[in-house]
Amino acid sequence: MTTETLLQRATEILAPFSKGNNNPETNRLDVEIEASDLPSATAALMDNQWGYLSAITPTDLGKEVNKLELLYHFCEGAAITSLRIYLPREDQPDVPTISDQIPVASFFERELGEMLGVHVVGTPDSSRLFLPDDWPDGVYPLREEFSMEQAAPVEPRETLPEMGRVGNKFTVPIGPQHPALKEPGHFEFAVDGEIITGARMRLGYVHRGIEKATEKRNWIQNLYLLERICGICSHTHTSAYAMGAEKLAQVEVPPRALAIREIVAGLERIHSHLLWLGVAAHEAGFDTLFMYSWRDRETVMDLLETLTGNRVNYSITVLGGVKYDFTAEHSRAIHKAMNYLEERIRYYLHIVTTDASFLQRTRGIGTMTLEEAKYFGALGPTARASGLERDVRIDSPYGAYHRFPVSLITDERGDLEARFEVRMKELLVSCFTIRTIVDNLPPGELAVRFPRKVPAGETVSRVEAPRGEAFYYIKSGGGESPVRLKIRTPSLCNWTSALNKAVGHQLADVPMLIAGMDPCFSCNDRMITVRRKNDSHTLTWSQMREYGIKKYASIREPK
Amino acid sequence: MRLGAMFMDIFKSFFTPPVTEKYPFEKPKTAPRFRGRLHFDPAKCTGCNLCAKDCPADALEIVILDRAAKRFVARYNIDKCAYCGQCIQSCKFKCITMPNDDWELAALSKEKFTAFYGKDDDVANLMDKLAHPQPPPQPG
Repeated sequence: MTTETLLQRATEILAPFSKGNNNPETNRLDVEIEASDLPSATAALMDNQWGYLSAITPTDLGKEVNKLELLYHFCEGAAITSLRIYLPREDQPDVPTISDQIPVASFFERELGEMLGVHVVGTPDSSRLFLPDDWPDGVYPLREEFSMEQAAPVEPRETLPEMGRVGNKFTVPIGPQHPALKEPGHFEFAVDGEIITGARMRLGYVHRGIEKATEKRNWIQNLYLLERICGICSHTHTSAYAMGAEKLAQVEVPPRALAIREIVAGLERIHSHLLWLGVAAHEAGFDTLFMYSWRDRETVMDLLETLTGNRVNYSITVLGGVKYDFTAEHSRAIHKAMNYLEERIRYYLHIVTTDASFLQRTRGIGTMTLEEAKYFGALGPTARASGLERDVRIDSPYGAYHRFPVSLITDERGDLEARFEVRMKELLVSCFTIRTIVDNLPPGELAVRFPRKVPAGETVSRVEAPRGEAFYYIKSGGGESPVRLKIRTPSLCNWTSALNKAVGHQLADVPMLIAGMDPCFSCNDRMITVRRKNDSHTLTWSQMREYGIKKYASIREPK
Repeated sequence: MRLGAMFMDIFKSFFTPPVTEKYPFEKPKTAPRFRGRLHFDPAKCTGCNLCAKDCPADALEIVILDRAAKRFVARYNIDKCAYCGQCIQSCKFKCITMPNDDWELAALSKEKFTAFYGKDDDVANLMDKLAHPQPPPQPG
């Protein structure tokens, strides 16, 4: 179905609830509805198999308009339908839950509650997801009147549970330190003997406030701030942001720049998947594979350093194009690296599908059917390993993906083995695509001028990160900075499937299950540092040592 | 289990040179596009301040002593710099470079993380001003 027919279909489905339709962009439909109609409008979309919930954007429109705005973005192919709801700007306005229909909405609704002070009626879990335990009640960081003085810390809430025991049932807390990867996240698993019967999670241990911070910086400064959201998929974030900003400013990016962006995106996917292969193999106790894949990852890291000057935050994107050109010498280096990596990846593909002891940890573990993947809203390779054909590069080709398309890799089995296979095959596709682009690099300029002020408007840009769809909503008020920027990273959507699939498995499978979706904790986090009353920002070495000793003593001897 | 493959790996390792680098005795070569410490040429500057405006880390400041006489001093905070290279893009007059061989930036005191670029007496003038700040004019 074409985008037009999809949008036409959505208009028909939503017609009974609509208070006004609007097409802000050719691929987007905006439908204003009453808050009370939200569950039935969602049900209508779901019953007609129209799309999946991609994100909820909450915005405070400020005192003048005196309204809060919630946008529920549903995506299908290249078409995006947003349900627009206006709420009164009082304390705790009500909005009905949709997480009974769409489980992943539960995370977004927890965010609505703590960030904007919206009371989501009937949501199964309204505890804090991102804000710290000592954040005061009734202070919402995304409200206009928020100031840092309001965020003075209070006595922390007790969120870490006692290790409870009822008969054979325990609650086992895992994390916040290194639950699966070397990143912080906290899980509570209810276990009956060795078998998991329930799971919960809590994020926000990485304190940052990037969404809010973008409103204070100019368009160019934001590019580098957003690049630092993730240390692995930094190029994804700059691409998504630059794409959105360029759409708003109506800047046409030269084809050569788009092709170069796609090459870097491909190299980034290779380094991300190889990193994941190592981590996942390490979780399974297969450290030789970990060492091998990380050694080979250096090939692509060195290549990225040669091409862009940096190993991690490449900074190759500028608004309106790219910074660096690729020469014939670079093409040769890329070809050489791709030939080597392709051979290695074929070898890894052989290992992960044949090694008997490794297959014991992956075959038939965490199997997710196509229906479940759809229901949980899985994204990226996690979804594709269950046969769900969902890839932004193919559904809604952006940048140079029209000109240099990639092929879709799916697998029907849905277990961990399938996820390994899908990712390795995607790498082979990436190697192939990169070589094709390098051989057919379009001539022309590298960058065009980007205005300092961007015309008012709003846009949605979606990019396929190595882990799945990254979603950006950007709103400009016509000034030198964006008015609102909402980021939804793929891991947040994949958590629902990982937690739900853990139920029924052994506790020992948890690290593999979590690693299997290639999670990224920090990119989900959005928070503002709490300043303590006697907060001194520069700690001397002895002060820090003293702080550490006190903290450790307080943990060892609970009150 | 293919034993042969393992022996091939062992055999190859006999003839592979060590991958460790003998730093600090031998300084490794960085990639040509690697962005090291910022260098500023005040002679080319016009004082448009775009580089400082676009710096995502507030690492750069251009102090204009006398625009007509082209007396500019750049204050560069090495510890704040994110090495993104946006200032090079923003500068239309190519005053800024980030050479790839200037990367040994570790220091034991914070003072060493502030660098000044400009004519010697301009820098001295500015340092003097910073050392003896003028009291703000009294209202009324």
